Amino acid sequence: MKNRKGLALMNLSILTRGGVLLLLILFALWVEYINLKNGYNNPRLVELSSGKLWRWFYEYSDAFFSLFGEPMAVMQTNGGMTWSIRVFGIPFTDPVALLSILTKNLHTPLVFFLGALIPIIMAVLFGRVFCSYICPASLLFFTISRIRRFLQNFLYFPEIEISSGLAWGVLLGGLTLAHFYSHGIWALILPYFAVGQSLFQGIAFGVLAPSVFSLCLLSLSDLILARQFTCRFLCPTGQILGLLGRRSAVSIRRDAPQCISGCQSCDLVCPLQINPRLDHTQNCSLCAECVAICPTGCLTIGVRS
Amino acid sequence: MVRRRQFLMSLVGGFLLPLLLPLLDRLRLGKIARRFLRPPGALPEKKFLDLCIGCGQCANVCPNQCIELSGLENGLENLATPRIIARSRGCILCMACTQVCPTEALQKMEPTEEGRQAVEMGVAILNEDLCYSYHGRTCGACYRACPLPGKAMTIGLYEKPTVHEDQCVGCGLCEQACIHMPQAIRIIPTEEWKVLKRERV
Repeated sequence: MKNRKGLALMNLSILTRGGVLLLLILFALWVEYINLKNGYNNPRLVELSSGKLWRWFYEYSDAFFSLFGEPMAVMQTNGGMTWSIRVFGIPFTDPVALLSILTKNLHTPLVFFLGALIPIIMAVLFGRVFCSYICPASLLFFTISRIRRFLQNFLYFPEIEISSGLAWGVLLGGLTLAHFYSHGIWALILPYFAVGQSLFQGIAFGVLAPSVFSLCLLSLSDLILARQFTCRFLCPTGQILGLLGRRSAVSIRRDAPQCISGCQSCDLVCPLQINPRLDHTQNCSLCAECVAICPTGCLTIGVRS
Repeated sequence: MVRRRQFLMSLVGGFLLPLLLPLLDRLRLGKIARRFLRPPGALPEKKFLDLCIGCGQCANVCPNQCIELSGLENGLENLATPRIIARSRGCILCMACTQVCPTEALQKMEPTEEGRQAVEMGVAILNEDLCYSYHGRTCGACYRACPLPGKAMTIGLYEKPTVHEDQCVGCGLCEQACIHMPQAIRIIPTEEWKVLKRERV
């Protein structure tokens, strides 16, 4: 019998990540929409030139945007990737992007800096929630971890333990590389940026982006080396957000008297291997897998005391 | 103590991992270095690369779908940065991309007549040996496409075009419109043009 509250949170995390993924796909498709709008601005002409499917897509996009105002103008307030995105005019900036710009130029445009405030405040309050509720790549790695668990019935997979220093090293290496090349190299390093790049280039331009290959490599390391290898040891963003959320206001709480001493189900199930049983909550992404599996229901998500 | 050593070891290992990426640059797989333009309002090339983070917002709002994101074919330093290949699709100077750039790698420009004339993407260079109009067949396709007719480009007898370097903004619409194969008019990016001009003198 699984804890229903935890299961609900897990489903929510899958839903929100799926929503972000859908948004990225729609952003890429809306490039075509804007083009049709500029070229024809008429559903019948769209159907004549591009077919019925595009006509439907055009009409529904138009109907959706006209809820907020002039469709073309509203569409143009949206754009970008999880790396640096604008949703209805509100900018969001990745902390790594900010760091990369800062180390290279020693100053940053104001809008770009303000965009980073929301992710930083979110990390301070909730910890690594970005990883399990927003990051589109972690949905991929979540799926791979399930495939890995299934394949473990038949095959042997090692569980390699590396220090989180690897991710900090990747951050330093990436910043060095960004200094000598350009910030675009993060498209080969950060998994969520790679997802955005691959989707955008693939859908909007029909081009196989180099990021696809780096995603394949990361997925392979996830499958073979260790569970959630990328999230735990390679992704610098996770480490930065984890550090910011060291004393996050909301965290996993354990009701010690209820806890069974020999039970290790939460330790075993935790995708980031942070041992909720030992009250280690640094790096926690509130994915609620431990809450769902706890047999006594002693783990809850709440305000840190 | 052991944990600290582990941390430092993996720190060095992690530092070396991204540094393997320049090796990709060495592999010249399917590498076609095509001449490309930056979107309007772009800073000088070096400063532009310092600021552009490759988020693709400019490509997202481009109504003409002429801005695309680079792959590895122009080297690692141009990865994910926006580019315009004029022959496939020129820029219509609507300035939508300059309004959305989060890092100001593209400076804000106004979609007015003055704003359009302030753009410096490149310069159109006419190859008179290839141009139909210079061989007695009236064409004038480039002049019809030019967003600054009479200023950037004037037209003479038999629709012979003349480009005025100081006025041309390098949007690439003439190159896109040219009916000769290969194109008789080409856009040279501003940076490259400065170097070429110096060499001529």
